[in-house]
Amino acid sequence: MKRLSVWAVLLAVLAALPAGAQQPYYAGKTIEILVPFAAGGGSDIDARFFAQFFEKHVPGNPRVLVRNMPGGGSVLGANFFAENARADGTQLLATSASTIIPYILGLPQVRYDPAKWELIKVNGVGGIVYVSPRTGVRKPEDLARPAERLVYGGISATGLDLVTLLLFEVLGLDVRVVMGFEGRGPARLAFERGETNIDYQTTPAYLSQVVPLVREGKAVPILSMGFVNEKGVMVRDPSAPDLPSAYEAYQALFKRKPDGLLRWKAYQSMVAAAFTFQKALWAPAGTPPEALQALRTAVDRMRADPQFQQQAKQILEGYEVFRGDVAKPAVLRATRITLDVKKFITDLLRSKYQVRL
Amino acid sequence: MAEAVRAAVELFVNPTRLSMLVLGSAVGLLIGVLPGMGGIVAVAILLPFMIKLDPFSALAMATGALAVVHTSDTITSVLIGAPGSAAAVPTMMEGHPMARRGEAARALSAAYLSSLVGGILGAVGLTLSIPIARPLVLSFGSPELFLLTVLGVSFAGSLLGKEPLKGLAAGLLGLLLGTVGPAPAAAEVRFAFGQVYLTDGIDLGLVALGIFGVAEVVSLLARGGAVAQRLELGRGWWEGVLDVWRHRWLVLRGALIGMWAGVLPAIGATAGTLMAYGHAVATSRDRSRFGKGDVRGIIAPEAANNAVEAGDLVPTLLFGVPGSAPSAMILGALLAYGILPGPRIVTEHLDLIYTVVWSFALANVLGAGVMFAASPLLARLTHVPFPRIAPPIVLAMVLASFQKTQHFGDLVTLVVLGVVGYALKVTGWPRGPLLIGFVLSNPLERYYFLTVKLYPRPEEWLLRPGVVVIGLLVLAPFAWSAVRWLRTRGRAQAEVRGQRPGPGAVATAAVLGVFAYAWWQATGFLPDAALMPVSVAALGTVLSALQLVRELRGQASPLRDEDEGEAAEEAVGPRVLRAVGYLASLAVYVLATWFLGIRWASVLWSLWFLRGVARLSWPTAAVYAAVLVAALELVASVLGLYLPAGRLRL
Repeated sequence: MKRLSVWAVLLAVLAALPAGAQQPYYAGKTIEILVPFAAGGGSDIDARFFAQFFEKHVPGNPRVLVRNMPGGGSVLGANFFAENARADGTQLLATSASTIIPYILGLPQVRYDPAKWELIKVNGVGGIVYVSPRTGVRKPEDLARPAERLVYGGISATGLDLVTLLLFEVLGLDVRVVMGFEGRGPARLAFERGETNIDYQTTPAYLSQVVPLVREGKAVPILSMGFVNEKGVMVRDPSAPDLPSAYEAYQALFKRKPDGLLRWKAYQSMVAAAFTFQKALWAPAGTPPEALQALRTAVDRMRADPQFQQQAKQILEGYEVFRGDVAKPAVLRATRITLDVKKFITDLLRSKYQVRL
Repeated sequence: MAEAVRAAVELFVNPTRLSMLVLGSAVGLLIGVLPGMGGIVAVAILLPFMIKLDPFSALAMATGALAVVHTSDTITSVLIGAPGSAAAVPTMMEGHPMARRGEAARALSAAYLSSLVGGILGAVGLTLSIPIARPLVLSFGSPELFLLTVLGVSFAGSLLGKEPLKGLAAGLLGLLLGTVGPAPAAAEVRFAFGQVYLTDGIDLGLVALGIFGVAEVVSLLARGGAVAQRLELGRGWWEGVLDVWRHRWLVLRGALIGMWAGVLPAIGATAGTLMAYGHAVATSRDRSRFGKGDVRGIIAPEAANNAVEAGDLVPTLLFGVPGSAPSAMILGALLAYGILPGPRIVTEHLDLIYTVVWSFALANVLGAGVMFAASPLLARLTHVPFPRIAPPIVLAMVLASFQKTQHFGDLVTLVVLGVVGYALKVTGWPRGPLLIGFVLSNPLERYYFLTVKLYPRPEEWLLRPGVVVIGLLVLAPFAWSAVRWLRTRGRAQAEVRGQRPGPGAVATAAVLGVFAYAWWQATGFLPDAALMPVSVAALGTVLSALQLVRELRGQASPLRDEDEGEAAEEAVGPRVLRAVGYLASLAVYVLATWFLGIRWASVLWSLWFLRGVARLSWPTAAVYAAVLVAALELVASVLGLYLPAGRLRL
């Protein structure tokens, strides 16, 4: 009898062991998300929002911290990550357009290559272009003959404004571009003051700040920058489904499709990289598959989590979050511009905007 | 009106909201004390907690922290001369000499009372301006904002000191330093010398910490002894209260300047505070004591820098354009709650706005009260031999400078700026104009280019009413000075006792060299990126060359340390040598950080200092050093900082 009970206990212990050995990869660990931007900015808010849901949904419930490391327009932090990050899944990098654009343009201070990293999640933001009623423009076709010269206020030709500049090229608009605003917020104020008459805002800012102006008749929305889907086709912005995309705007202006045009290729690439896939989270090369699996599982769970969906409506403006492995091909395609596109962009910046790259 | 009262009552009665407000204020006070750490650090610490609260409590907490940061940053500014933030520099420049004379309590109480009144006025202003804020802010176009930055820079004119050429050149040097980094109007990074670290420019906090903080600490150490050379005279704190009453209109004017600086873009907290300081100097008949401990130089800036935080909330809440880094974080928190800033916030979330206003006012009262109560105790620190309290201050400054980008360049910059700051101080170059120039350099340039590009024809903007009014404000002091000069020209000039050329001339020559080099470099920039640095550097070259000539001919005033009014107990030479020694030790410390990491470098430096300079016994020094580094770890972990282990990975 005694021997049987000993064996029973032994068997019970042996049965329990495998369950103990299958501890989730991240149990008891801490994940650090490096944000190469200052606290409080859009990328920081995005990272902190996801941090709490990663804590909730990554198997093993690791602690997830955000560490800010601004500097060099986010290049410093990205360089640091590329050179120092631990490849065990406990350090991730949050990037935004200002991290990716210098990489696309091949600027010398960039010492990172996202193609080598593992993409964990990506979500984007849209851009809405609107004009002052003084321009008399009500639909894209009118842009060809505005009642007064179009004046646009931007921040820097090598930042997100590059996309807007390419849009102006695509649509053949004659715009006086004034760079030097501190941010899109002050640029919008200039529009409200009547100092500029064409502007774009990212969708969250548009919906909260510009829509009241539209209702008061002080702003007229014309088109959206457009969203590039996983097939590489530009579709309407999901948050502004009533507005034509840049693709449709071109068609309205020139009565044909822009596919194949070099400047269209340039624009579409940049829109994808800078807007559609703006907020990306990466793990370094060599991260173990269990870690990647756990993180991607978390993204799936998040997408199905009603609390996430509810809050994402505010913070992400209802744009979808994509799992990194699913979206990576499209993202890399967007960031890998061909040599002719690169030359087009460099030439444009040099000839029209006095930018030496 | 009913809404306002209801919000106030809710705030006081609801235990969660009230306790979060108190907690936020406590954090704000503590962070404010540490030199170099400001509102953004406080809000960053609170953010994870805020997300878990309801919107009202979260805002009460964040507002509480923001409101009092500029109340407590007075402490290190006055007692030690290490500015708690860049906006505390004027308080430091006047309050610290007062502390050295034994009048610390007076300086502190004047500061706290002014902060309190400034904060309350700010809250009132915030309430009153909400209905009219939108059209008001929108009426300030790029030309008006440009003129405002010109006005700000012109305030440096009242701080020029005895050698106007030096003062002007110092201001130009500040403007030049501000051009390091990305040009506002052209895609060019200036004076970065190939360092990615410099591509964003030099951080304001580092400038304040290095040029003022490190320089003062080193100077104090070199002088030896305790901060206060004399015993506390009588009931200092009551004297401070009387001072504020005597200068009550100055408090009001300071608060107004601060509020406007916060509401309008282009001018931030630091510039607004400096403008209030310049205004206090400009409107005083007797300017002789400014820079040596004039309480008016504390009252106006302290009122301004509390009011400015209230003003900052106006563009944040009403336009969604954050007026400062901490309010950017608050904006982010609001968005997370689905509360959209903008015109609708006034109609849809009025109760929230009033919660913010009342939190602001209440936090100011609490903060001032706590600080008042703590003043007598804190003032006693000025009687402790300074070397004994220097290590925590130095380490706090190091941590504060490091927490910005967590890049080694932060530490190098701190020490370099410390050396520059000390050199300027000891050779009589006024640093006030330098700071004003630095802070306003970018906005000045930015708004200039925006003006001329958005309004290509000069008559489009030069004749705007706002431009004309502000332009007159700019010219008025100069016109007044010119009139006075014309009147007194007849009288015999006081004989200026000349000085043989010496170290002063070396400093002037160095400044001349900097300007000339910058001029040469800047001509290679793109046109729109070159205009500002070339103009500034060219003018600076001319002025510093003229000054050099004056000094070589022995026409310049005798060289004086910025801290005058002290009994010169010994010759200047040995003192400067000691200071250089301390600066060198800091350089070694930074080098050690590179190899050994911050922890070990701090341990070693603290031990050396406590044994060698403070002359503590081995056991005391060891314990003290250990406690210091433990505190460093604690603060770093609370702030979520990563203390690097150095190249040798110890």
